[in-house]
Amino acid sequence: MTKKIVADFSLCTGCAICLLACSERVTGGFNPRYALMRIENKMDGLVNEPILCSQCTNAYCQQVCPVNAIEVVNNDQVLKINQDKCNGCGLCEKYCPHDVIVIHDKRAAKCDLCDGEVRCVSQCPTGALQLVERGELHE
Amino acid sequence: MNRGYTGKVLHINLSNGDSEIRQIPERVLEDYVGGKGLAAWLLFNSCAKRIDPLGPENPVIFAAGPLTGSNAPATRGVVVTCSPLTGLFVDSYYGGHFAQEIKYAGYDAIVLTGQAEAPVYLYIEDNEVQIRDADQLWGLDTFQTNGTIKKELADDTVKVASIGPAGENLVPFALVSCEYNRQAGRGGVGAVLGSKNLKAVAVKGGGTVGVNDRNAFFQAVNQARNELAADATCQELTRAGTASSLWFANEQGLLPVHNYQNGQFNPKGLAEDAQKDQFWLRDVGCASCPIRCSKIGVITSGKRSGTISDIVEYETAALMGVNLGLEDIREVAYLVNLCDALGLDGMSTGSVLGFAMECFEDGILNSSDYGQINLTFGSKEHLDIVIKQIAFRQGPLGRLLSQGTARAAQELGSNAEDKAVHVKRMDFPAWGPRGVPGMGLAYLTADRGACHQRAFPVGNEAGGEPWNGQQVERLAVKGKAEIVVQQQNYSASLDTLVKCDFGSFGISQESYIELYEAATGDAMCEGRLLAIGERIWNLTRLFNLRQGMSTEDEKLPQRCLEPLPDGPAQGHKFTKEDQQLMLQEYYEIRGWDNLGQPRQDKLIQLNIKEEVF
Repeated sequence: MTKKIVADFSLCTGCAICLLACSERVTGGFNPRYALMRIENKMDGLVNEPILCSQCTNAYCQQVCPVNAIEVVNNDQVLKINQDKCNGCGLCEKYCPHDVIVIHDKRAAKCDLCDGEVRCVSQCPTGALQLVERGELHE
Repeated sequence: MNRGYTGKVLHINLSNGDSEIRQIPERVLEDYVGGKGLAAWLLFNSCAKRIDPLGPENPVIFAAGPLTGSNAPATRGVVVTCSPLTGLFVDSYYGGHFAQEIKYAGYDAIVLTGQAEAPVYLYIEDNEVQIRDADQLWGLDTFQTNGTIKKELADDTVKVASIGPAGENLVPFALVSCEYNRQAGRGGVGAVLGSKNLKAVAVKGGGTVGVNDRNAFFQAVNQARNELAADATCQELTRAGTASSLWFANEQGLLPVHNYQNGQFNPKGLAEDAQKDQFWLRDVGCASCPIRCSKIGVITSGKRSGTISDIVEYETAALMGVNLGLEDIREVAYLVNLCDALGLDGMSTGSVLGFAMECFEDGILNSSDYGQINLTFGSKEHLDIVIKQIAFRQGPLGRLLSQGTARAAQELGSNAEDKAVHVKRMDFPAWGPRGVPGMGLAYLTADRGACHQRAFPVGNEAGGEPWNGQQVERLAVKGKAEIVVQQQNYSASLDTLVKCDFGSFGISQESYIELYEAATGDAMCEGRLLAIGERIWNLTRLFNLRQGMSTEDEKLPQRCLEPLPDGPAQGHKFTKEDQQLMLQEYYEIRGWDNLGQPRQDKLIQLNIKEEVF
């Protein structure tokens, strides 16, 4: 996959505006629990660390899906769950190492970079989240 | 239909373990909305008689509002009960992430009554209520309690409100620590939970908060965010939190120096640069708030090295720092953090320590009677020990001070009572009122006793903010009642949502109305909004009168009758006549009689009556 969102924890304030925006897109209502990312509170609150979908090249979610519902879309840019194929079995959620896939209304949802306009990135008040091209960080 | 509200209240009786979900009558939502309004209504109608704050009948009400849990910026939660410090209504606000979870679990409020036989904590997951054993938690500090509950439930995502040892020991200024590092600090709500043998409330919600008109709501959210970004005060809060207010308060002679004896004290060692230099690492924001006025970091030098602390707010920097004559922010941060951990309100704790220092200085207290402990202005010696003794009600000094300033002074006699700085037993916040008389009236009339968050005329009197387009004459006594009444009504009306005071510096009334309308689908206008605030103000007044409050209690402490020795308002003081004049003006504007009782026509106009719920 060619794009992903990366986080700079030192700029994250834990405000969860990203989670609220994401959960609203997934469910039509607000609850950070349904966001396709999460924020870990570590070291007695000293650290808020955003955990995001890695858009893995060798994605476990895609490999464990029994109905091949997780497909590469947008010219190889992102893995997306085909809602018509998903049977809600929960295997992708279970084997995502970052715990950022959620089941809502008996269907799985994973970060698909909002099909373009990435809400978590655009609404973050501090610039803690960035959409990057793969390899960009190492250039 | 999505409308911000859940329309439901969860009642839990800890005496018998029963829980019940009740539908909130529509007319109550119309008249009182949520948050402070809904909770005040629930408290007022929970019991027709005078409430014993530590009795099983006293409800603790955690309330959210129609915007809570959405992405509306700068909202908070509120907990309402009858205060063991004042015996009156108290509403204590907290940021963080706990109130949102109440909504996700499906409730606008949770009402806790009764008294468990042994220590318990509550686990609420949507419709399921578990009353769980808390033997293993009793005695733990608030941070340990939060972590232990998450471990026990094997879930990092539950949100926890807990008390520390101070709440367990019924210290009347014990706080509730809310997820995470945010406190419902004032008025002793923690002691009420302690009286119920309730160590903590853990909530996990699987529902979502939906809004009525999505497009209009997002537009209102964007507008409110833009207003926050453009507002100079909010920009300053983003940069420095509330710590930079120390400079303004010093310049204006409003600081509570040495138990409010003076108004000026160089805050260099305590303000934002010192905090940044000594421990801040990054900004922290409450749920959905772009302001991020909190900061967090770790102290890496000196005796308190290793202490993780959030920002030392203006109030605690002033009351635990300036008030005690301390200039090392590391020590002050440690002491405030100790209060948070033990579950003590850092403001009232700072106040009672300042009171004790002055009593030692004047020989009212002698170290020989108090375990060789001597508290002295400017010295940090013994402060940590005494704070722990207060939380555990141990030792002669700890036991004395753990009653709170007013009761400790009463025990010590009239010389000490002259040094007790409170209204209705609520310690003053860190804004000395002698140079800002309107603030004195705000303290006299606030529903929870001396409080700076119900009206803040300091901004108009000393901050240069015009009132109705006119500059306000700082030291005038006449005309201040109108400012106080209107600010109280406006603030109460927005506390139904529940707003954060700092957000309301930037977010306009129009935006709040648009957020409310888009979320709920209910039409709102300025007149109705202010009537809601006025209704709440009259209801809490009726509650306080039922609790035995009278006009006798509406007086400023002796300290305010002594001339202010420094600052631009040097020499100024309150007279008894000043207070009378302001109060009479205030009662008249409110439609109350000379005894401060709401007149019948006012109650009819506002549709206030006693009912059963």
